[in-house]
Amino acid sequence: MRPSARARNHRTAFRALGGLAALLCALAAPGNARAATLVITVQASDGRPLQGALVTAHALDGPARKPQPIKAVMDQVNRAFAPDLLVIPVGSTVTFPNSDSVSHQIYSFSPAKRFQLPLYRGNPNPPVHFDQAGVVTLGCNIHDEMVGYLVVTDAPYYGRTDTRGAWSNEVVRGRYRITIWHPRMRDEPGDLERELTVGESDHAELTLRLAKPLTPAPLADRPHSWDY
Amino acid sequence: MRRAALLPLAWLALAATARADGWELDLDGRLVSSDANPSYTQGGVSGVRYDQDQSGLRLGRVRLALSEPLGELWSVHLDASAWGDHDRIPAGLTEAYLQFRPYPFAGYRLRVKAGAFYPPVSLENRAAGWESPYSLSYSAIDSWLAIEVRTIGVEASLDWLGRRQGHDFDLGATGGVFGWNEGAGTFIAGDGFTLTDRQTPYGGRVGLPGDPVLKNLEPFREFDGRAGVYGGLELRWLDRVVVRALRYDNRADPTAMDHATDSIAWETSFNSVGLRAESANGWTAIAQGLQGNTAIEPGGFYLTWPFKAEYALVAKQLGRHMLSLRYDRFEVDSNIPAGDGTETGHAWTAAWVYTPNEHWRLTLEWLRVTSSSYYRNDVFGLAVLASETQLQLAVRYAFGSAVR
Repeated sequence: MRPSARARNHRTAFRALGGLAALLCALAAPGNARAATLVITVQASDGRPLQGALVTAHALDGPARKPQPIKAVMDQVNRAFAPDLLVIPVGSTVTFPNSDSVSHQIYSFSPAKRFQLPLYRGNPNPPVHFDQAGVVTLGCNIHDEMVGYLVVTDAPYYGRTDTRGAWSNEVVRGRYRITIWHPRMRDEPGDLERELTVGESDHAELTLRLAKPLTPAPLADRPHSWDY
Repeated sequence: MRRAALLPLAWLALAATARADGWELDLDGRLVSSDANPSYTQGGVSGVRYDQDQSGLRLGRVRLALSEPLGELWSVHLDASAWGDHDRIPAGLTEAYLQFRPYPFAGYRLRVKAGAFYPPVSLENRAAGWESPYSLSYSAIDSWLAIEVRTIGVEASLDWLGRRQGHDFDLGATGGVFGWNEGAGTFIAGDGFTLTDRQTPYGGRVGLPGDPVLKNLEPFREFDGRAGVYGGLELRWLDRVVVRALRYDNRADPTAMDHATDSIAWETSFNSVGLRAESANGWTAIAQGLQGNTAIEPGGFYLTWPFKAEYALVAKQLGRHMLSLRYDRFEVDSNIPAGDGTETGHAWTAAWVYTPNEHWRLTLEWLRVTSSSYYRNDVFGLAVLASETQLQLAVRYAFGSAVR
């Protein structure tokens, strides 16, 4: 059966629009630096999708694009860092308010940023500046069970995987170094580093599978008054 | 006159409480049914806290605790309790210490405590007030610590925080120097092991005055001029497993006499090792063993009582309910040919703990202790072997800024 003349007309119109869009993209991004979709899927060692993994994509071609620093907030709520993992570009600042009625004394001895900060209720602190890439593990000197992470990155593209273990982003075509990190990951991040070329296709995909099982999740539902 | 003097003190305590960063008041009432022989708190020898005559409504514990920061790195902790029995003081401090808590540095964390507190032995008494979240009565090991072992001195611990550096475990080492513990061992060599939750306060006495076995046991006294020491190691795997070992020696002079209480110094040492494991689906397992020796040397006779105790506990958390079962066994030996102070026994503890919210806790506990004790017959004329059962229903209400 032949398609109707009306349907043919529609198709022609779509084709013309698509061509216009491609032209506009080409004009906006000169050379071969047209956008394509990068999809990274992360699996745990048992093959199940890993939610919450941090994916970073560093451009290996052309001038290094740096992400814009941001002003972020990491609160203390019910004796926990909120959020418990924050990804920020290099040069960003983070303020640490305290919404709990109890005091906290947060610290990090991670090489990317060493600091300590007493957080008393109603006593705001100046923001902390993070100028070196790396993972900053946060703790509280009063409440040992508290743990939080700040990942300071210089990658132009980054994000965390969804429930399907996937993260996707529009990226400029070129070669990328993809790295994976998760707070409970036992693999060395270097072992999971991959190079990927986003070429002529509109789409580039990569699936990474952890070699080692994750560290068990922290125990929940234990009263705060235990292990006083 | 003395009561009038206490009033301003009570007022001061209340004023301090109102200002304190963290304070808590707990009221713990019990309905008890027991068939036990006269309790150690009533001048007898029993395997449990409450005897037959104490069945009915009892005061389990009234506790007032305060924590107050002193600047950024120091804090003070006070824990006072009344137990509703015939101690020489109506209420007293079970723990009182200053803590120095600098920020962790380069992966290591230092903690220093000075004052009066428990040495790091117990794996079950992890809740506020040195209570067990699994049952009312503590294991035989922890009951002994509650009765007559405390650190009055200084303790320093250094932890390597591996878990914050991408490893699965932390390691810790602890050392303590203490005095005021010449009485530790008296209870072991007299009454043997007991399963209780009564913590002797500082300045307090164990049992009645002129107790036929314990005499006047005021465990926290210093009169031999020798400091005791302990050293321990701890390994923590994630937040799932804790392994703890401790070597304790009060280094007492077994010939030293205290003329104020007419008591002798007990030279007591022990090794303790224990493991606690927890699973994500609410199971907890604890196993602990303690082995030691206590000795005195009156008039050139060296009398010694080697002792050991072990327990295994399994608990399951089901939402706001906790079910637990514990098996204890214990033994006190002696070099006295007649067998003075010897005891062997075992105990089963089953408990249901219901915590509807952070203020209320309801506990039902069944405890049976079967033991054979020399003094039960020699001093009290009872059968050497006894099986004692204590059933308790406890209702505890807690309030204050530290309750959560």
